Amino acid sequence: MNNLNSRQRKIAYICGILVLLIPIALLGMPSSGGAEASGGTLAQLRRQHDLGESDLGKIDPTSVTMNLMLLGLRGVAVNLLRMDLDYYKDRKEWAQMRTTTEAVITLQPHYIEVWRFLSWNLAFNVSAEWDAVPDRYYWVKEGGKFSQRGSDRNTAIPELYWETGRVWGQKVGRADEWRQFRGFFVSDPNVDRFGGAADPEINPDQIDNYLVARTWYEDGNTAEDSRDQHIMMRALFRSYPARSLLDYAYALQREGDFGTRTVAAWNRALTGWTQSYGIMHFQTPVCEVFLEANEDDVRALAREQDVDVKDVVVWLGRYQDTVNYRYWRTRARAEAEQETGETHALIYEGEQSYLAGNLDLASEQLTQGMRDFEKLLERYPSFIDEDLSIEEGMWAVLVWQRILRLNGQPIPESYPLKPLWDKHQGRLPELQRRFDRLGGQN
Amino acid sequence: MTLQPESFDLLTGIVQWVITLGTFGLVFFLVATATSLAGHGRKGPGRVVRGTIRGLIDFLTPSPRRVLAIASLTWKESIRRKALLVFVVFAIVFMFASWFMADTTVRADHQVRNYVAFVFIAINLLVLPVVLLLSCWGLPEDIRLRSLHTVVTKPVRRSEVVLGRMVGFSAVGTLVLGIMGIVGYVWIQRQVADDVDLICRVPVYGELSFLDRSGAPAEKGVNVGDIVETRSFVEGGTKAVGIWKFPLTEEADSLKLESRFEAFRTWKGDMKQTLRVRYILVNPEKSLRVPLPPFNVREFANNEFDVARQVTWTDEASLEKRTADIFNDLAQPSDQASLGVLEVHVQCLDRSQFLGASRGDFFVRLPNRSFATGYFKAIVGVWLKMLVVVMIGVTASCFVKWPVATLLCFTVIVIGQLARGFLDKILAGEQLGGGPFESIFRLLTHMNDTSPLPEGTLTVIIQEADRSLTGGLWIVKYMIPDLTTFSMSEWVAKGFDVPWDGVMLPSLAVTVAYAIPCLLLGYFSLSLRELESK
Repeated sequence: MNNLNSRQRKIAYICGILVLLIPIALLGMPSSGGAEASGGTLAQLRRQHDLGESDLGKIDPTSVTMNLMLLGLRGVAVNLLRMDLDYYKDRKEWAQMRTTTEAVITLQPHYIEVWRFLSWNLAFNVSAEWDAVPDRYYWVKEGGKFSQRGSDRNTAIPELYWETGRVWGQKVGRADEWRQFRGFFVSDPNVDRFGGAADPEINPDQIDNYLVARTWYEDGNTAEDSRDQHIMMRALFRSYPARSLLDYAYALQREGDFGTRTVAAWNRALTGWTQSYGIMHFQTPVCEVFLEANEDDVRALAREQDVDVKDVVVWLGRYQDTVNYRYWRTRARAEAEQETGETHALIYEGEQSYLAGNLDLASEQLTQGMRDFEKLLERYPSFIDEDLSIEEGMWAVLVWQRILRLNGQPIPESYPLKPLWDKHQGRLPELQRRFDRLGGQN
Repeated sequence: MTLQPESFDLLTGIVQWVITLGTFGLVFFLVATATSLAGHGRKGPGRVVRGTIRGLIDFLTPSPRRVLAIASLTWKESIRRKALLVFVVFAIVFMFASWFMADTTVRADHQVRNYVAFVFIAINLLVLPVVLLLSCWGLPEDIRLRSLHTVVTKPVRRSEVVLGRMVGFSAVGTLVLGIMGIVGYVWIQRQVADDVDLICRVPVYGELSFLDRSGAPAEKGVNVGDIVETRSFVEGGTKAVGIWKFPLTEEADSLKLESRFEAFRTWKGDMKQTLRVRYILVNPEKSLRVPLPPFNVREFANNEFDVARQVTWTDEASLEKRTADIFNDLAQPSDQASLGVLEVHVQCLDRSQFLGASRGDFFVRLPNRSFATGYFKAIVGVWLKMLVVVMIGVTASCFVKWPVATLLCFTVIVIGQLARGFLDKILAGEQLGGGPFESIFRLLTHMNDTSPLPEGTLTVIIQEADRSLTGGLWIVKYMIPDLTTFSMSEWVAKGFDVPWDGVMLPSLAVTVAYAIPCLLLGYFSLSLRELESK
């Protein structure tokens, strides 16, 4: 016990409070919003590192309120919610799982990995649990929209733009159900709600999924100009807008469009690949390179950076290999030619004629297609060992041989693409399985 | 996940309850006798016997007038303590909830589930803490302020004090819950989109069995690797089927069959359509197999299928058109139902694809009941839970002070509601990581919870120590009420009526089962309590 009376103690407490208020004010005084140096130390640090709520992206008042109300218990609450989320997911309680996802993100609006994980969970894991393709598409959209919101809330984070681009590009364009998904992307299956048009929240301009993905990848690249991303090598990350154009052109081909639209798409992709992506500079461990560099450029780069020409060549080669730069450039050039389109068209139409039961026409189209395809491989030898080319050539021969067998004709000793067929016999079982499921069985 | 129907054996429950109560009563009696022997010598046991008899008489002959008088005072006291301020919080929650919940992009059926779940969570979270605090604080405050002295000096038995308190707090809780329930109902009706029908489906569930791909009886179907293996899967394009036997209780011109199967694809198959399924009505005694037209399954949704009483089909052997009556030709005589049992085989028609089914996934649907029927049954479930909380709170407040009573009651709610599954897993030996000692050992040695413990003396000691603690947990499990029994909102949220047999009856039984021991314990505790001690 001390000898102070009640009044003295009160005065001592007040003095103590006033003394404590000084450092609190110095540290925590809010910014007035104007001058750079206004506010306390914490406010200045927030401003300096762009960590203020308004600097990070759109503000969600609910989220801010919830986090304030929970004080230091946010971690505990999130843990419980995540356990709930897994519980509902394991039991396929999708409504509750979706609501819990929202609750988690309300508490962790600036945790990038949480946005990425939950977006993936909806677009990839949950959608795969459903059987009807429109239902799957609904969940893919949920995942993509979720990722879009993540980008809005965290405008400086390149990863989230990339994640959104991945959902609209790769998930919609390369899933098993890609044909339906791509169709739904421009004409939503929820006709009652969207009247047969695209969901405006994800595709306001009613364009192809790869073109929408491209804009998200481009936003990601813009964000990456001022803030590093941490998911992949920079040269790969920056390639995605141009890759989307390549994917777009290839998707048109896969859907059987070999006309001027596809040729134009390949031309656009070639431009994007070589004149936009190809001239971006990347810092390698030794020197700076750009992927479209020719011999003169290499010498100039070596001279400017005072490094050996060999080093530039080595690192340029490595970077080009990493993103398969030369292949895609050659591919885009080849596909931009009208003749290449016609070759693909012959093989595609031959397959369609076979499926329609028109065997003579199919045989004729495939024979011509195989001949032209062989010429294409002669013109572009780099395609000989490339997956897509091997698959297309082997597939043409497989269908053609089936037609011969159905017509009771022997398979000749020599025929177009025979070297390719003989060389890649190891791939035949997988192609045969696909062919059987397509209706190729006897 | 589909709701699974469960049956409740009331008679077995009553027998178990009598045995448990008798055992506890005997233990208390023996302890009291031993204590009285130590304190009062040979006269002790006599006092215990007299006290017990007096207590039982008090307990069995309460005066309704005095009980109601105490209840009325309790009501007034609760109002004076501003218990009804909970309505302010309730009003604020419901005024602004729709701001955060209304999302037109969410599927309509999911929206309904979210709204119903929200209403019941809000009501539970507002009502239970209020009654918990009121019931735990009432008697200790009376003792502290000595206002109980003015009661016990009047001709009021202590059993009536306990009962009156319980009735009073329950009445306050009932008022609060009733108003919240009605407001919640109106709120749901207003929130749900106009094109969504709020209904309560009435299912008649059948018994499920399986045939495997060769057509031989099997205990269950194929496991496709689901984490929670509720459903067994039937292989498509083979002789595998799921067999349901539905009891038929009333004749009708048609039967509505409703299913909620799950699809599992081993390969892409036909992406343009979902899996195809066929029902076959079977009467083995009359060698009748009536295949119904196949349909495409809509997953996680309700697939309705109407079957006319007179079913016409083409006989596979003779290729002739035949007709059969569901009730006269296809139903098989059974003790289960007056009109017999209808056997339905469910077959997946897509080769190498699988159809997942559990017992609750397929049922005969009777005419709908109104949404209000199921909703207010679920509110009754919350009400019964509230009664149990009041009883435990008042009982606890009879032998400990209010902070301890509150903590005790809160713990009971947490264990009974949130940790029940965890408790069951530990007792069944299914919890990964073992009991507390094994868990500590694993934590300290950084051992994965699936790795076996090293053989040796230490492991034996750890396991024995855990086993002894598990015995204590067993008693806890049977002393603390299973509050999950009272959760009926899931039925309503999923558009079903709350069944009487498997849900309402057990809830009612649990409430009654706790009422009697709580009253007895509360009475004897208050009788023995030194009221001068604050």
